[in-house]
Amino acid sequence: MNSIKEILNESSVFSSLGEEDIQRLGVLFEKRAINPGDILATAKDAAQYFFLLNNGTILLAMDEGKSVVLNTVGDFIGLELLSLKEVYKTTLTVLEAGSVFAIPRLDFLAFIQEDSVAADTIMMAWQEYLDKTASFAKNIEDISFPYNY
Amino acid sequence: MYGLEAINANNGWAISVVGVTIVFSGLVMLSFVISQLHKVLALWEDPSKIKALFKAKQKKASPKELPEKQIADLAVFTESQKEVAKQFALLVRTMENHFSLPRLLHLAQISGLKDPCSNLNNFLKTKIIIPDGSGFFTWDKDMFDKTIS
Repeated sequence: MNSIKEILNESSVFSSLGEEDIQRLGVLFEKRAINPGDILATAKDAAQYFFLLNNGTILLAMDEGKSVVLNTVGDFIGLELLSLKEVYKTTLTVLEAGSVFAIPRLDFLAFIQEDSVAADTIMMAWQEYLDKTASFAKNIEDISFPYNY
Repeated sequence: MYGLEAINANNGWAISVVGVTIVFSGLVMLSFVISQLHKVLALWEDPSKIKALFKAKQKKASPKELPEKQIADLAVFTESQKEVAKQFALLVRTMENHFSLPRLLHLAQISGLKDPCSNLNNFLKTKIIIPDGSGFFTWDKDMFDKTIS
């Protein structure tokens, strides 16, 4: 599976979006190959990108030694899983070769801000995704979406 | 003919037993429907739950876990991988039962173990390392013994 459109349709976070939103969101992503040992994001660095997994395995390391292994097509690594106040709060290490689609953080936030229907759909799916993937990572701070991610 | 004699003569007892049974069954069904009514009302108030229900069923139909056979295939390690697995096992013994995966990766890297990321990924795929659901991981000694034997 290679096309961003297919991945978005497969992703539990984005699959509920309409065809037009998928199309508009899809053009913002760029594909990147990943190899074992690559660091996609480092905690405390300026947050620049969010990531959508195409294939491969990524270890997301959080505070206090906690971590999540992401290896499902369409896993989205962004928002409070990755950043807080424009800074990465977790570190992403590639465990298995594959590829991701990267989206500039600001472009993603702008997309969400300009379309409240799509934003609602994404945020609802995102909360479900977090519950399933890393419920222990859910944000307990009072964050006013989306400026603080 | 009057009284009990008339009841006996016209199957009155049987008719009354059938009547009582029908009424009682009806009341049981009615109480069951009322007891489940809150679930229907919850779906009525939030239709997105219906969609989530269908999605959950789809997910159950296609679980992301690898089938047993694929795990068994992955669990065939080369001699070199077995050696690395033993070294990882030694590192894990120095850690808590529920250990931090990023910490294990860090220890493997500073200890100079071969391909720490790829090998860690192998242990995850073969279920030697298992997530505990709270952000930490455990080492399945039985699976490890089976794999390296």
